[in-house]
Amino acid sequence: MKNKSFILIMILPTLILISFIILYPTISGVLLSFKNYSLFNFGNIKWIGFENYNEIFSDIFYIDVIWNTIKWIFFSVFFQLILGFILALLMKEPFKGRGIYAGLVFYPWAVSGFAIGLIWSWLLNGQFGVINDILMKFGIIKKSINFLSDPSIALYSVILVNIWYGIPFFAIMILAALQSIPNSLYEAAEIDGAGYFTKLIKITIPYIKPTLINTVLLRIIWVMNFPDIIYGMTRGGPAGSTEILSVKMINTVFYESNYSLAAAHGVIIVLILLIYTIMYLKLTSKKEFNI
Amino acid sequence: MKIIKFILLALFLIFALFPLYWIILTSFKPVNELYTFPIQYWTKSPSLYGYRKLFEFVNFKRYFLNSVIVSVLASFISTFFAMLTGYILSRKEFKGKYALILFLFFSQMIPSYLIMVPQYIMFSELKLIDKLISIIIVYSGIGAAFSTIMARGFFDRIPKSIEEAALIDGCNEFQTLFKITIPLMLPGLSAVMSFSFVNNWNELFTAVIFLNTSNKFTVPVGLYSIISKAGIQWNVLAAGIVIALLPTILVFAIAQKYIIAGLTQGSLKD
Repeated sequence: MKNKSFILIMILPTLILISFIILYPTISGVLLSFKNYSLFNFGNIKWIGFENYNEIFSDIFYIDVIWNTIKWIFFSVFFQLILGFILALLMKEPFKGRGIYAGLVFYPWAVSGFAIGLIWSWLLNGQFGVINDILMKFGIIKKSINFLSDPSIALYSVILVNIWYGIPFFAIMILAALQSIPNSLYEAAEIDGAGYFTKLIKITIPYIKPTLINTVLLRIIWVMNFPDIIYGMTRGGPAGSTEILSVKMINTVFYESNYSLAAAHGVIIVLILLIYTIMYLKLTSKKEFNI
Repeated sequence: MKIIKFILLALFLIFALFPLYWIILTSFKPVNELYTFPIQYWTKSPSLYGYRKLFEFVNFKRYFLNSVIVSVLASFISTFFAMLTGYILSRKEFKGKYALILFLFFSQMIPSYLIMVPQYIMFSELKLIDKLISIIIVYSGIGAAFSTIMARGFFDRIPKSIEEAALIDGCNEFQTLFKITIPLMLPGLSAVMSFSFVNNWNELFTAVIFLNTSNKFTVPVGLYSIISKAGIQWNVLAAGIVIALLPTILVFAIAQKYIIAGLTQGSLKD
């Protein structure tokens, strides 16, 4: 058999499947965003130009949604990274039962974000929630906090849960990178009398920098596109205080059944991500993303 | 130093496990302990009320079965396709290879909820809405992109020389792949498949809009419909969440070593 046809047979199924399930819907999603396709309008679907986009940008609450999205991404990824890094450092040296420990501490990563959201909405319940009870028992607060029903703190509550959810992913990635650092580097530094933090800053961080850069790049995209936890906890409420771009889009589908408007939201999100990815890769001076 | 390290490790563990403990505890609490003060950190009279109600009140057995069918089939299909393509990407040089890799990368960057509406329209034209086959196909396609990248990373770690020996012995390329390379790849492939199983099991939004009748629901859609119902008790919902968690935690526990290897070495190479 010729080499060429062998290659073709092997890659064609995947190519067809992905074109059918991802590529074609992406293109038709862009076209959809210029139409008036909604549940109440099936008889009269036509091209309406930028009307959906106009509607989005003239919505005075849209700026709040963007601002929520920025806070959601920044605080989530920042603390996921810091705490994941610390966890990875703690797990770097082998200890008895490390395998089991890893399984237990990493499990949140295998659970659905929606289920995580449901669990935490029970933990953070203002009346019967155990978190309030614990905080009061330790004397940290005097009366219970309405974590999810108070618009001024609801966003920080869902961010807290997202941080909890994302720590394992960072820890897994960083731990793998840490274990690839040759021990000889540390030994040489020890001979020079370097302490723990000198080694951390001079050897560990520079060595795993590419992993950190790649992981943060991927995580920001992922966190931006992650409505699951919020959906399990608040669905964007109260009063839109936890509505981020992806939640706004889902709500447009589920509650307004305005599919073209939702598609326009989607196109805006993808454009933001595209610009972000290009800028990120420029700033971190990586010519191409290593896959 | 050692003590501090131990304390920190313990704190991370408590932080990770406490929500799990709490939801399991809630699922076994009798109704009269759910909304009482002081809050009970243990239950004196564990009850299966939550689980019983779950299977009487909603059709949870059906949801579970549907989820198993969908997740197993979809992850099998995407892993099989990913195996073929991942092998080529690991072993062969050809025109358009870089473009194909970029295509795979960007298609996994397109979030699934952005394309679910066009997919919905497409599948309703094919008259496949409210059928499990529709989300099996969608999950297979979404999974194939990432699985291919992950599979390629695993193939890269199997030395080429083993295949060359088989080719010299007169095997053709298909025989070499299926008789020599794939048996060596089984741990890697099981990681790829487990990973996509977990993703498929947890998927909510596409399933919510694709599946309308109760006997077609998957577990996440079932949970979603439960919380939409007024007056649901927390021990019933907790029981549903616990059952929803079991398969993924089980798969993760068995395959975590390989999944982590695949994640870190397959998708992100420095």
